[in-house]
Amino acid sequence: MKLFFRLFLALLVSTSSVYAWSLFSSSGEERYPGMGGDFTLQSAEGEISLKDLRGKVVLMYFGYTSCPDVCPTSLGALSTALKQLDSKEMQQIQPLFISVDPERDNGDKLQEYSRYFHPKMIGATSNLDYLQALASRYGAYFRKVEVENSSMGYAVDHSSTIFVVGKNGKLMDMIQHSDSPKRILEHIRMTLENRH
Amino acid sequence: MFKQLFPGLLLGLTLAMPAFAGTAADDLQVIDPWAREVPPGLTTSAGFLGMKNTGDKEHKLVAAESANTGMIELHTHINDNGVMRMRPVKNIPVAPGGTTTLQPGGLHLMLMMIKKPLKAGEKMAITLVFEDGSKKDIEAEVRHFSMENMQH
Repeated sequence: MKLFFRLFLALLVSTSSVYAWSLFSSSGEERYPGMGGDFTLQSAEGEISLKDLRGKVVLMYFGYTSCPDVCPTSLGALSTALKQLDSKEMQQIQPLFISVDPERDNGDKLQEYSRYFHPKMIGATSNLDYLQALASRYGAYFRKVEVENSSMGYAVDHSSTIFVVGKNGKLMDMIQHSDSPKRILEHIRMTLENRH
Repeated sequence: MFKQLFPGLLLGLTLAMPAFAGTAADDLQVIDPWAREVPPGLTTSAGFLGMKNTGDKEHKLVAAESANTGMIELHTHINDNGVMRMRPVKNIPVAPGGTTTLQPGGLHLMLMMIKKPLKAGEKMAITLVFEDGSKKDIEAEVRHFSMENMQH
């Protein structure tokens, strides 16, 4: 009888710990506690809100269209990765280009730019204060800098990261600049298949 | 004594001349010049190339020109803990015997005020200007982003 009790206790402990573990490792887990969160931006097709994109993996990139090298390199690599996904996977993906240069980037320009990289990519922006707050919530960085000895006028120093938001609206992953399309694809699939 | 030495010295100088009198345009071999196709509506892009210095002194690229742009500037990117800072540079040196490569994420020709959109497969004529005043005409191949990502 005592043996039975001990076995029962062992079973109880093991099942409850499995249950507790599953609580932490399920989609309820915050991979980046306190980071990310909902937002609403303006695009050529109207407002776009993250909360309307639940059920989709959202791939966000902060940049600006007159960025001649870093943005096209990152968006090009992202686009090349997205082309490897099948149509069922692609249905669950929403790429989003967020311009941090609203002074020079309007809705139509952003739409044309984003579609050049992927037909599904949405280009959106907002006012600078909103963008600054949004960027800092995601751990992105941008700052307008006057550039001396250049007819650029100004450049925007910025981080070059693809933020991966899961179907639950939570920040799940960050893909760094200079990752190859192959690595980007692996990252996207990890979130798609909830393998974090 | 001097009379005997002088012709010899002159001869020596003449022989040595070709070795160090090469202009930048003579000494620099341009490797794989290309420019990135411009997304619609945009007038800025970037050009890339390698420069191999076959001479025995340093050369510097100081400017570039093209009839298809309002202006070309020499730029670099500084990756400061993940923040990309783009800045103009005064010149791009190529050490003797060395190669300097302008490539995505680093040194590049910033093509500004592009007059005719760059389309993949086309060639863009660019003139490189060096510190010693010599110039070199090159043809950069315009590439779509899907063509550059193949290398990874």
